[in-house]
Amino acid sequence: MSWLANPTDEFADMTRAEQGVTLFIVGFALFLVFGLLTGALNPSYFLFLIGLGSMYALLSLGLNSQWGFTGLINFSVAAFFGVGAYGTVLISASSSPIRQSLLDIGVPSVVLNPVVGLVIAIVVATVIALAIGIPTLRLRADYLAIASLGLAEVVRLIVLNQQNWTNGSAGVRGIPSFFAGWPVLATFPQSMPETVIDFVPGGSITIAEPVFGIGFTFGQEIVLGTPFWRALLNVALVFVFLGISYTALRRVHRSPWGRVLRTIRADEDLARALGKNTYSFKMQSFVLGSLVMALAGVFYAHLNLYVSPGDLDPITTFYVWVAVILGGSGSNRGALFGGFVVVAIREGTRFLNQVTLSFDLGATEVVLSLTGFGGPMRLLLIGVIIVILMRFRPEGLLPPQRELIWPGTVDEVPEGPDVGVREARGGADE
Amino acid sequence: MPLLEYLANGLIFSSIIVLGSIGLSLVYSIADFANFAHGDTMTIGAYTALITFGAVGSLGGAVLGLPFGFFVALLAGIAVAALVAVVTERVVYKPMDVSSIGMLITSIGIAFIYRAILQLRFGADFTRYDVQTLRPIEWLIPYGIRITEHDVAIVLSAAVLVTGLHVLLQYTDLGRKMRAMADNPELARVSGIRTARVKLWTWVIGAGLAGAGGVFLGLYNQLSPRMGFSLLLLIFAAVILGGIGSVYGAMLGGFLIGMIHELMPVLGEIGTLIPFVEYIPFITEDFAIPIGIQYAEAVVFVIMVAVLLVRPNGIMGEAT
Repeated sequence: MSWLANPTDEFADMTRAEQGVTLFIVGFALFLVFGLLTGALNPSYFLFLIGLGSMYALLSLGLNSQWGFTGLINFSVAAFFGVGAYGTVLISASSSPIRQSLLDIGVPSVVLNPVVGLVIAIVVATVIALAIGIPTLRLRADYLAIASLGLAEVVRLIVLNQQNWTNGSAGVRGIPSFFAGWPVLATFPQSMPETVIDFVPGGSITIAEPVFGIGFTFGQEIVLGTPFWRALLNVALVFVFLGISYTALRRVHRSPWGRVLRTIRADEDLARALGKNTYSFKMQSFVLGSLVMALAGVFYAHLNLYVSPGDLDPITTFYVWVAVILGGSGSNRGALFGGFVVVAIREGTRFLNQVTLSFDLGATEVVLSLTGFGGPMRLLLIGVIIVILMRFRPEGLLPPQRELIWPGTVDEVPEGPDVGVREARGGADE
Repeated sequence: MPLLEYLANGLIFSSIIVLGSIGLSLVYSIADFANFAHGDTMTIGAYTALITFGAVGSLGGAVLGLPFGFFVALLAGIAVAALVAVVTERVVYKPMDVSSIGMLITSIGIAFIYRAILQLRFGADFTRYDVQTLRPIEWLIPYGIRITEHDVAIVLSAAVLVTGLHVLLQYTDLGRKMRAMADNPELARVSGIRTARVKLWTWVIGAGLAGAGGVFLGLYNQLSPRMGFSLLLLIFAAVILGGIGSVYGAMLGGFLIGMIHELMPVLGEIGTLIPFVEYIPFITEDFAIPIGIQYAEAVVFVIMVAVLLVRPNGIMGEAT
């Protein structure tokens, strides 16, 4: 709570990178609040963004516990994400062939709810993690990358082609809310009253004339209706998922178990020489991370209300990789940060499609439409970030220097990113 | 007999895979990382040929249904793919100071950049070369083979390129140095080989062949910015099957993977294709392995993982 007591010192205590990241987060949050107040950003969409960001953060946490903790180069993130999403929708969605056949053989529809779907998704994700892990975790790092990408493609092809199970390329619609069938939460969005927030009663203040069709007027009425409450419920759900995963992963990272994982990452032969069954540890780490990814998939299905084989595309895997590398491999809070940056890129470039610039050059008017530029620009941005990071800062923006041991055991805070905790304590081992 | 048709298709697809896998294998052995941008290097070759062919036109005569202009476009595709790869190597890969995993991740970024630039210019849609669509060769149809002259051109051109590479590797100074470097880079360097120069030529040759593969892939199917990346895992499978670091292994692996991919329909009618099936116990005419052709790639990937497990160094690689 020292942040409340003495924010200046707390800020000064941070490394340069941490300060930069903090300022960026504060600035971005202010920008979003400005958007909310001026009506440029719909509150429901804002909550959707928060939900999506948390979902990517969850995926990054999962990958971080594989790559960051143990050094497993897993390129099958999208597969586990898809397993989570399909696991829950195939049980609960109205257009799911599996749900239909279960109903036909007499399973009561009360049983087929998203919570059962969550359990099934977790079980299936465990089975698939074992199925991918057992053969591939013995492989060399780069072979593991290629093999896991290949097996993820096998999962995607099965989802795409087994129409009798998954509805094929048409995807699954008719997904209920995660809380369908719960006592109060099922009808929470409908039962909440429509709230109107009006900062300037009876009018608004125009700050700037409309640019790109978005005017900056302060104090417009903000209407909080059913979509808003539904989105709020979603965000609460993902925060629960995220909170549980973050706490659990931070705990295990600092535990003796996490220490063995870091030893395996640094030098697998050493870990083996110390009598550790490295294969078993790697498997545990792999399954743990995959479960967190499946959890993200479960949430995504109920956020997006539409799931298709396109969600299992390898690009999803690479988004999550960018998030983890950007945040700093091995750093849990880095993974959180990276997840939100990826969503900023993903959703930010979506707006490019709507931008139409028109220049009035005297006689002729030049209209420049950016429709169709969003997708390539997103890809370009992701590519450039990867290359620049790996070239200039391969350890990421928030390297896990303070997360490697219990904070209470550190005498003093390291001075900069180059001086890690271990070096500060005289134990430079890397 | 449909088996001949599948074999012919396999040969054509193999030609493309072989052209891709040689370069991937060369770079894997000499620059020592799995280059995920290799598939998109193929795409660059294909789109360069598209632009060039559009600019120069057909230029009079034609060979095997392909106008001379197309061969000019092919050369342009090879040249630009090689140039882009060399520039990327100089600007990005060479100054890097990270492990081979870091290089692998960087190459994914490079792949996205290539693809994004192509998408900005050409959109995400499919397109094709402005060459006349041919009918299958008449005299082969009675044998059940339906291939066009373009397909023959693909196989012949690939054969010429692969033979050229073989001659280069076996009978020239550069080839000897490349083989020496692939075997043992340290030893090659202390023996006085200018490894930087050999490395450069490796990139030129690998990316050039990838560019040619991309041009042919565009001729065989269609062009789209995703075309190379979609093929990348098949090429990795080929390289791993043949043995990473061995050029001849990559050729063999590419041939096998292309064949397996195209022979998938056989699984569905295997009973009718086995001669004297009535004498084999438990197997009848309607015997089939129930895996549809839509799972061709999945089968290839499973084979790849199996090879990695049983023989991580591939068929032609050194045994551990």
